[in-house]
Amino acid sequence: MDYLHHITADQHVILKLPSGNWKIVELKPHTSVSLGKFGAFQVDDIIGYPLGTQFEIYYENQSQPNDDDPKNKNRTPVGKVRIMDEDVGGSTEGSELSNVNSSANNMNLINIGNEIQAMTSEQIEELKRQSISGEEIVAKMIESHSAFHKKTLQSQEKYLNRKKRKFAKYFTVEYLSASFLLQWLLEKGDTQKVLDMSEETVAMLLNVANIRSEGQYLCMDETGGLLVYFMLERMFGGDNNSSHTGKIVVLHENEHANLDLLKYSNYSEKFINDHVKTVSLLDFFEPPNESEIDSYFKPIPKEEARQLKAGKKNAYQRRLKWYYNQHEIVQLSTKSQYDALIIASTLQLSTLVPLLAEKVHGSRPVVCYSQFKEILLELTHTLYTDLRFLAPSISETRVRPYQSVRGKLHPLMTMRGGGGYLMWAHRVIPAPEPPAHETEDEGNGPEEKKQKTQ
Amino acid sequence: MDSSVSPFSYRDIIQEGDLALVWISRDNIKPIIVDANHMFNTRYGSFSHKSMIGKPYGSQIAIRTKGQNRFSFIHVMQPSPELWTLSLPHRTQIVYTPDSSYIMQRLNCNPCSTVIEAGTGSGSFSHAFARTVGHLYSYEFHSVRYEQALKEFKDHGLPNVTLTHRDVCSDGFTIKRNDPTSYLFQDDAAQATINANAVFLDLPAPWDAVPLLDQVIARDQKVGVCCFSPCIEQVDKTIEALEKCGWTEIQMVEIQGKQWESRRQMVRTLDDALERLRDVRRRKEEGIERRKQMYDAVLKDDEADGEKSERPQPPKTKFNPFGKGTRVREGDVNYQWKQVTKVEPEIKSHTSFLTFAFKIMDKSRIC
Repeated sequence: MDYLHHITADQHVILKLPSGNWKIVELKPHTSVSLGKFGAFQVDDIIGYPLGTQFEIYYENQSQPNDDDPKNKNRTPVGKVRIMDEDVGGSTEGSELSNVNSSANNMNLINIGNEIQAMTSEQIEELKRQSISGEEIVAKMIESHSAFHKKTLQSQEKYLNRKKRKFAKYFTVEYLSASFLLQWLLEKGDTQKVLDMSEETVAMLLNVANIRSEGQYLCMDETGGLLVYFMLERMFGGDNNSSHTGKIVVLHENEHANLDLLKYSNYSEKFINDHVKTVSLLDFFEPPNESEIDSYFKPIPKEEARQLKAGKKNAYQRRLKWYYNQHEIVQLSTKSQYDALIIASTLQLSTLVPLLAEKVHGSRPVVCYSQFKEILLELTHTLYTDLRFLAPSISETRVRPYQSVRGKLHPLMTMRGGGGYLMWAHRVIPAPEPPAHETEDEGNGPEEKKQKTQ
Repeated sequence: MDSSVSPFSYRDIIQEGDLALVWISRDNIKPIIVDANHMFNTRYGSFSHKSMIGKPYGSQIAIRTKGQNRFSFIHVMQPSPELWTLSLPHRTQIVYTPDSSYIMQRLNCNPCSTVIEAGTGSGSFSHAFARTVGHLYSYEFHSVRYEQALKEFKDHGLPNVTLTHRDVCSDGFTIKRNDPTSYLFQDDAAQATINANAVFLDLPAPWDAVPLLDQVIARDQKVGVCCFSPCIEQVDKTIEALEKCGWTEIQMVEIQGKQWESRRQMVRTLDDALERLRDVRRRKEEGIERRKQMYDAVLKDDEADGEKSERPQPPKTKFNPFGKGTRVREGDVNYQWKQVTKVEPEIKSHTSFLTFAFKIMDKSRIC
């Protein structure tokens, strides 16, 4: 299980760059990965270190190999890597400021634009080409900054951090968890693809839906497989050799399920096929007839199958696969009871949920995600009148991040809006109304009875 | 009940000896041990355990109350960590699901995780951890709560939880032989091998415990910690300790969880309001007219006895679009409604600050 804790060849990892951006890469051995202005590194150089390690890219020889080939002109030179022991991304106070004067306030600071910096951008580019370390470039920039001493200490720190991020050549290699995958999608603007889901909302979903290993779940996932990945991580922890059982049945409205994002996970194809089953909504609600399947095709004994000629054998194998698949659909859609119903779909929930919940075992949760509260509102009103649902409720969870610097703790000035809502209810089994002791009925309609539990 | 099966694992049928949760209402959920000779009493009536046995979990149990002959019911639920949290009497401050779920996600809790939790408290979060992670090491310094939790974890069949009676702030996390703990020692091991890769500290002074973590966290992998403190001064001191001990990526956040109630508001149009005013005016004019006629009639017919003449009653209006003067239940089918949401009357505006940090002790390369 090295791939869970250590950087391994052929693994998908996510890289955190000095700019705060993220990049997903597959670690192909004997290749290099370019991070643009932050440099480039050899994959082989980082294999074997713990996931979460921060590396610095450095260049030993100051001069670049002769770049006569115009094709190579824009190629990032590949450097060597060394482990960084201190976290630069944070707000560690730089020693660079210890020998620079600062001002108590910004009274003397006048904005004169670019002229304040004596170095021209060409000169800075030249320094970058020489590939000296980011820290040296920043030190040179401070030296030639005519008003740096007029800045307050806080503003000097800010300047330093900003410039460091710009010229630094480091990166952190992280395990590609479902949370990181979500963060990556949100940061590259794919908010709609994941239905505006936030980490805290999906975290809440996983807990209230009681997602765990050994569970068998019925799921609709319109986030391209992200939700399924979150569930798989909770159930198996990324371990291809997990001894735990458990299954996710994914219902889809198109001919094929879209679980595209699972390609970034490090689960093997076999593992996914064993634990994620996809069934179309049509097959689920109108499953094939078992006797019809059997009349169409019957497997022959293995001995006979082995003796088939090559061409026939392939055709036989295809039909055998179809046969097992059809029987599995029958099994999953008519004979299985599920441990939770989890829906992140833009289909009308108020018609979908009552039908799918029929397949959910009593006392198990029904959890629906929507980016719009109104959709869940309609759903809860429908479920209130259906005695098979106990206490449907709408919840909203938001995380408020803080600037986490000692003595300067305050909520960040801006944060992501949105994040979606959850509807949470339990599937229950209504009892027939017990007969009255006397003939007189007190006229307690079902509506009134429900009020008590609401 | 089969003692090897945890009441928290998936079970289908209610059986004698089971731990079950009786749902009376959203904020009244009671744990019971199913016993055919017992009754479950509520102010809505008494329910026999016998009527539950053999039914699937989630079953509604309904009765007619003897006195008033009213329909009354409960639901018998299988415990889950989240329902268990809802059922707890709120003696101590507990970590609620919006917080606990986020903490579990940020620390990437899964069956491959080994987690440290201090302190155990009411054991609410321990149940959620136990469901998800490979192993949980929980520490409680209060001896009565330790004993309670020890019994509870045993009754609830949580074999992947090790509970230790300890003040971690002064004595650290290492579990040795002869310590008060539920840890099962291998033959000649002097102390437990913990190697935690996630840590949750719900302590008044987490900064005292942070320096002691190095002895028990996994050395060769990224380890996450979350400190749960209500005051911002505590956060400041915690960050100081974390930085000093080499923890990085320090970030503090706050969680806001809200519940929304689904309600309805009557659709009342301007046209209907105008029509109602017209109706009032019309009836007023009719009334004036009638009174005038009556007055004229009285004047004309002098000899008639005054007592005989009746005071005319204006006819009751038929136009009452909003059901004024009658009791209209929200959602009454005779009226039009707009579905609306309303935030719960009291929200938890602050639970605690969550300070996260990460650390890799040994960054050496493996081959």
